[in-house]
Amino acid sequence: MRLARLALAVLPLLAAVPRAFAAEPIVLGVPTALGTIEGQDSLRSAQLAVKEINDQGGVQVGKEKRKLEIVSIDTREAEAGVPVNDALAAMEKLISEKKPAAIVVGAFRSEVLVSAMDMIAKVKIPYLCTIGMSPVFDQKIGAEYDKYKYNFRLSLSAPYLVGNMAKTMAFLKAKYGFDKVYFVHQDVAWAKGTIGGLSKVTEAAGWKVLGADAYPTGSRDFSASLAKAKATGAQVVVPLFDMPESGVIVKQARSMRVPALVSGFISPAATGTAWATFKGDIEGLVNFLFEPGAIPLPTPRSRAFTEGYGKMYGEDLKNKLSGHGPGPSYDAVYVLAKAIERAGSLDADAVVVQLEKTDMEGAVGRVVFNKTHSVPYSDDPKTGGASLAFQWRKGKRVVVFPEAIAEGQIELPAR
Amino acid sequence: MDGLLASTLVYGLVSSATLLLTALGFSLTFGLSGVANFAHGGLYLLSGFTAWMLMKAGLPFLAAAGLTVVLVGVLGALLYRVVIMPVRGIVLAEVISTFAVGVAIIEFFRWKGFTTYDYALPELVEGSVEILGVSVDWQRLLIVGIALALTLGLWAFTHWTKIGLALRGMSQDEYTALSVGIESDWAAMLSLALGSALAAVAAVVLLPLGIISINSGYDALLVALAVTVLGGLESTAGMIAGSLILGFAVTLTGNYVGPRWGEVVYLGAIVVVLTFRPSGLLGSSKQLEERV
Repeated sequence: MRLARLALAVLPLLAAVPRAFAAEPIVLGVPTALGTIEGQDSLRSAQLAVKEINDQGGVQVGKEKRKLEIVSIDTREAEAGVPVNDALAAMEKLISEKKPAAIVVGAFRSEVLVSAMDMIAKVKIPYLCTIGMSPVFDQKIGAEYDKYKYNFRLSLSAPYLVGNMAKTMAFLKAKYGFDKVYFVHQDVAWAKGTIGGLSKVTEAAGWKVLGADAYPTGSRDFSASLAKAKATGAQVVVPLFDMPESGVIVKQARSMRVPALVSGFISPAATGTAWATFKGDIEGLVNFLFEPGAIPLPTPRSRAFTEGYGKMYGEDLKNKLSGHGPGPSYDAVYVLAKAIERAGSLDADAVVVQLEKTDMEGAVGRVVFNKTHSVPYSDDPKTGGASLAFQWRKGKRVVVFPEAIAEGQIELPAR
Repeated sequence: MDGLLASTLVYGLVSSATLLLTALGFSLTFGLSGVANFAHGGLYLLSGFTAWMLMKAGLPFLAAAGLTVVLVGVLGALLYRVVIMPVRGIVLAEVISTFAVGVAIIEFFRWKGFTTYDYALPELVEGSVEILGVSVDWQRLLIVGIALALTLGLWAFTHWTKIGLALRGMSQDEYTALSVGIESDWAAMLSLALGSALAAVAAVVLLPLGIISINSGYDALLVALAVTVLGGLESTAGMIAGSLILGFAVTLTGNYVGPRWGEVVYLGAIVVVLTFRPSGLLGSSKQLEERV
């Protein structure tokens, strides 16, 4: 009887022992615009990487294995009327309440990203952003390295987007003799920066830029630019939008019979379900995928991400994967986990040193950081990340760029 | 004719009709009952998603659109009975409560994840036609036709039918209308139902141009406010004039200056008109107040 009482008293204590000695999970914060498809997909991609790492036992930090845990907060920064300050307040709340060891995914809007860098400079934790594209990110790190060294970017940035789009333009000029282009873009920092850079590059390459129109977020009528593009004889119309309403431009270009190749980035036309949504009106559109993921590179790591995403979330969500954010978000967790393992601790400065030494094959291609902590993107997945361009043809996304992995050549619209 | 000028004329008209159609329900409700239904944008978005869901359930688009208009009309009546009636007469409370309902509807859809790019309604008529050398799709011309038909139809309804005259009587003088047997709450409920149904008509006609995005709910409310405030809160002719001014101003600016300036002109036009005519272009409420 006494033995039984003793056992009853000791058993709960014994049961508590493993928990007391189990290492605390490493908390990763995800403060981003969770109301956007890019934000949602990026969070899911990071969670997929966390699950895969945890299934293998977790991250080796010194002598102990620690699991990863993601905590997220919706910054609502992509919603109309939400100021940068509100998005930063949400991020600050997550940092002060959940005490994350690092941030992944991060800001959606460039304006928020640039401001968030200053908050990170104060709290000094690694920040691996995977959506915001502003070139100011690199400029700030270049100008004040010690202050901003905790910031890293795995997604495509505006300067690399300019480079990749310029290569496509050069291809169109060489192959089809095109030299007249009309730019149409969203009136936001990343798109303005990209079009500004692309205008200079294309003009220097012999293109005649017939116009560059900015549309406020939420615009639904693009007839002004399309009419001018048609009237001035544009051979290529380059749209650059990440707002849901931008799908209208493709339908409108078709109904206005604009005889130009539409080649750029329209986020609603990037997903695998876009053909059904637009009922085939996007036939012939050449759309960039900023990073592989929705369509994988022909590499084992890239395919593993896309297939793993389908297994974890289902084929429907895999088919809806956005063209910007998911691949880099998945890679960001792995990059961080490896850096922590090499550092042997969660000390931010030690992890930053190891992050800078990153060189691994990821879903987006080769993940290495340049001097300003951005992954370089080109048309070669062996030297850095690789952007893809595909053309919608009879319901299928046919990869047309980079040429090394293209499944077909660009087909021109009937003129 | 110069291509850009022709484009301005054609798409200016389409843009005006789009604004008119978006604002019609809001303006009608205010004109007939004095209730500013700030849930208008929420009802517009709800209509888009309702039609989409009905289609997913197997209904053909026309049936789904028709049923949506009826359902949202009934919801408008319920909105009056449940939300507005208890605070009727307290203007600020009416505005706040309807605005809260509108925001709740819009944010509900955001919360439930209706943020992907998969929600689209089919066009009623496909293909395009050339007018003055400008290609324009049939759906946009349909918008012009429907906006015009609805405006004329509603004018006829409020001027030539017994119910319409009763509603107008109520809007002109509630106490006199009561004395001849027109029930105030019945009239207001009917005007809310009609206005909400018109928001649904706008949604099923306008949303097929693109995809259904959450923010289109807020945009619809802003457009409705801009058009009605500019034209005059209780004036049908003013609403038409307001739509034409804003529609052509935005298109003209977009074509000749740049699309990014469209919103500046849009808001600037409202400020200018209200500075010189506080009741709007053809409204008279402020002038009457001043005269009294």
